[in-house]
Amino acid sequence: MMHIDTLDGHRRLSTQELLRMVEVAVQQGETEFVIAASGQHDIGGPLWNRAGRELVFHVRNPGQRVGAMCLPGTTVLVDGPTPADAGWLNSGGRVIVRGDAGDTAGHCAAAGSIYIAGRAGTRTGSLMKHDPQFEEPSLWVLRTVGDFSFEFMGGGRAVVCGLGCADGASPLGARPCVGMVGGVVYVRGQVDMLPEDVRQSELEASDIAWLKPGLADFLAAVGRPELHAALSHWGQWRKITPRPFAEGGRTVGLDMAAFRRQAWVQGGIFGDVLEDDGRVVGLAALGEDRLRMPVWAGRDCRDCRLCLKSCPCKAIAREEDERVGQDSAKGIYALQAEKCQGCGLCAGLCPVGAWDMQELLGHD
Amino acid sequence: MAAVMVQDLHCCDLPWQVDWQQDKCVLCGACAAACTVDAIHFVASSRGVRGAALRQRAELARACTGCGMCSRVCPQNAIRPLRNPDHRFPLLARANGPLKRGGRSNLHAQRTLDKLTVGRISQMTDPALDSERHVFDLRAPLGRVLPVRDLPLRVEGEALSLAAPTPPVRWIYPLMFSDMSIGALSTRAWEAIALACAYLNEQCHLPVRMCSGEGGMPGRLLESEHLQYMVLQIASGHFGWNRILRALPRMKTDPAGVLIKMGQGAKPGDGGLLPAAKVAAHIQAIRGVPRTTLHSPANHQGLYSIEEAVQKMHLSCNAAFGFRVPVAIKCAASVTSVAVYNNLLRDPYNICGGFFLDGIQGGTGAANEISLEHTGHPLASKLRHCYLAAQAQGRQGQIPLWVGGGVGQTGQAAADAFKLICLGANGVLVGKLLIQLLGCVGNEQGRCNACNTGRCPAGICTQDMRLVRRLDIDRGAQAIVDYMLAFDAELRKLLAPVGNTSLPVGRADVLVATDRAVAQALGLDYAC
Repeated sequence: MMHIDTLDGHRRLSTQELLRMVEVAVQQGETEFVIAASGQHDIGGPLWNRAGRELVFHVRNPGQRVGAMCLPGTTVLVDGPTPADAGWLNSGGRVIVRGDAGDTAGHCAAAGSIYIAGRAGTRTGSLMKHDPQFEEPSLWVLRTVGDFSFEFMGGGRAVVCGLGCADGASPLGARPCVGMVGGVVYVRGQVDMLPEDVRQSELEASDIAWLKPGLADFLAAVGRPELHAALSHWGQWRKITPRPFAEGGRTVGLDMAAFRRQAWVQGGIFGDVLEDDGRVVGLAALGEDRLRMPVWAGRDCRDCRLCLKSCPCKAIAREEDERVGQDSAKGIYALQAEKCQGCGLCAGLCPVGAWDMQELLGHD
Repeated sequence: MAAVMVQDLHCCDLPWQVDWQQDKCVLCGACAAACTVDAIHFVASSRGVRGAALRQRAELARACTGCGMCSRVCPQNAIRPLRNPDHRFPLLARANGPLKRGGRSNLHAQRTLDKLTVGRISQMTDPALDSERHVFDLRAPLGRVLPVRDLPLRVEGEALSLAAPTPPVRWIYPLMFSDMSIGALSTRAWEAIALACAYLNEQCHLPVRMCSGEGGMPGRLLESEHLQYMVLQIASGHFGWNRILRALPRMKTDPAGVLIKMGQGAKPGDGGLLPAAKVAAHIQAIRGVPRTTLHSPANHQGLYSIEEAVQKMHLSCNAAFGFRVPVAIKCAASVTSVAVYNNLLRDPYNICGGFFLDGIQGGTGAANEISLEHTGHPLASKLRHCYLAAQAQGRQGQIPLWVGGGVGQTGQAAADAFKLICLGANGVLVGKLLIQLLGCVGNEQGRCNACNTGRCPAGICTQDMRLVRRLDIDRGAQAIVDYMLAFDAELRKLLAPVGNTSLPVGRADVLVATDRAVAQALGLDYAC
């Protein structure tokens, strides 16, 4: 066991000096360290014993990122609180904090376990993830976490026991689980301000089966086994999971036509001053929606049938076809307005000007 | 055959020439049927085997506007309007008097905003946020915002209370649907915009407000809950206000605000203009006028100074709704805008709830082309100077600055809005963009812009039901909603990288200019 006191009178070991010292010792086979730190960063990892033996660090007063990038086989025991980033990018170690943790505890943890015996700060558990090649990470917090917790969480399991949480307060702080896409957060207490794309539900038997032994191990590790019974009322617990990908996507409201029928002014806002049946017509519309119409003038008609044959809408007929038995009006053509689009082909082609085009647009 | 004289009007004198390919044409007639200006017609062909040819009319009154409805409807892709760079239309058409049209300025389509980029993005000094997952506060005030020191606070035991009423302030979405009147727009177009506005509020949680324009308000809307989304406009014609006042006892809710229109960026110093062709029976009813060309006076008659504008108009409009509704004022951007804003900032009664500045690139339903092209003031520098004037007095944010005129002209409304907000705007207005979403094909290269003729090919700027029926209200409203949802996402996409969770009003340090003159005028860093 190697004891390191980082303070010698007014002389303090720098982070770099401490970490170099530890690394050399690990390479020489040392497996257990007791470090009286004075704010040095990154104590605990990533380190490994060549023979595969366990590494244990007993730390007091560490700086940020204690237990950061920890590898399997390493245990970091912090006797007291830690500042930010405890267990940052934990990749398999066991990080135990017997006090409060600062902000972003467990940030990006991807394996191993992190135990916090007090509170953890803002953005705790953010971006935790689970690489299927390795075991999933877990993060346990005895009391509460700060705002924006578990932001962008992508995997693993987090447990917030909510011990001592004030009445009405959320153990997860404000706006937890924003952008959460994977993993699960177990929490004891009432949570609010959850985003729409996660859901909160009751625990299932499989959840309890995982929580029960885990809780016992956690409480034993942080020296609070007496709390087990009080924290085991599973009805007080909820779990938060992201909605499956297929359920997400852009929120689509009512279909516009349905909205107009259900929520808009009935009959339209102009219904009292204007008759509008709501019909929608195309660019080349027929009948009363035409912009222009041919009018039969009959001048010098030679009955050449050009108008009748060229009409793309088949809107022109010889009058005797319409009035069977009366053929006295030879060469007179009639227009079936409901078929006519007002294109003016008839008038344009007539060699004698028997059709006149009349403007309808702007003439009520 | 009659001789062709050099002074005869010819299609080559017109701004658009119709290109028709006889070999493709199947003579279905749809192009001529769809053309609202009657620019094309069929004639007997001397050569065509099928006996017919399509001709463009060489007439000023029936000049092709380039709207392209013929191309849209042609099943054969056989016809299209071609821009004619050598046309003589501005010379010849003035034979019938001053030119009138709608749309935006075509000469002053300069895009100051495109010479600005969001240059202060640094993960080191200004940590970025996540635009899709973080929570942003995208709200802008409409109403007089009192500084904390001026709040009439009183301590009553343990509680804090107000000793006097404070001016009404609505915190709304920083984009407002701009004032386009009933009359300028068809009933369906206006209703589609109002419907989209309600949908955005009720289905999408975007508190977007719509300004009525000054052409009256539909009675049924005045008496519905949806009135809460409407900002009622009063301009120099006061059209339709008698109906608004008569509806007061039956209103279920207050409107969102009142906007006093003093001037319009597209045609400052010129009153509203609604050509007789668009004054249909229902417009006569809503406005209370006969069928004639309707001119609004250039000025509010009875206002002779800035002080009077503030005291009389603001007071009356505030009083009409019991001082519960914010009242703002809209002016065309001008050399004197800063003086006006300074004057408003001194308003001792706290009854001015916003200063709306309208730049030269604003659109209009009808204006004299001389006004549209040659009068007005660009927006960006005037906005910046108004903001800085308020800031110099420690009064920025007290009278919100809302700006419009060309916002979204290139389709990038979120970028325009963001840059204008950085220059000092609290919010922006869009108008033309909305009708373009409804189907308007007009642009700043002289296409269509026939809004004043009653022959709008999209059924938007006309009251003729033959054309209005072309417009599908639901599809139009949906297009606006879809654009606004994208706008909202894009605005966050600009907010997030600069690290703001709320609107960076006046944060010009976020911008750099890629043009030295623009940089100098706006007080920005020049970057190249």
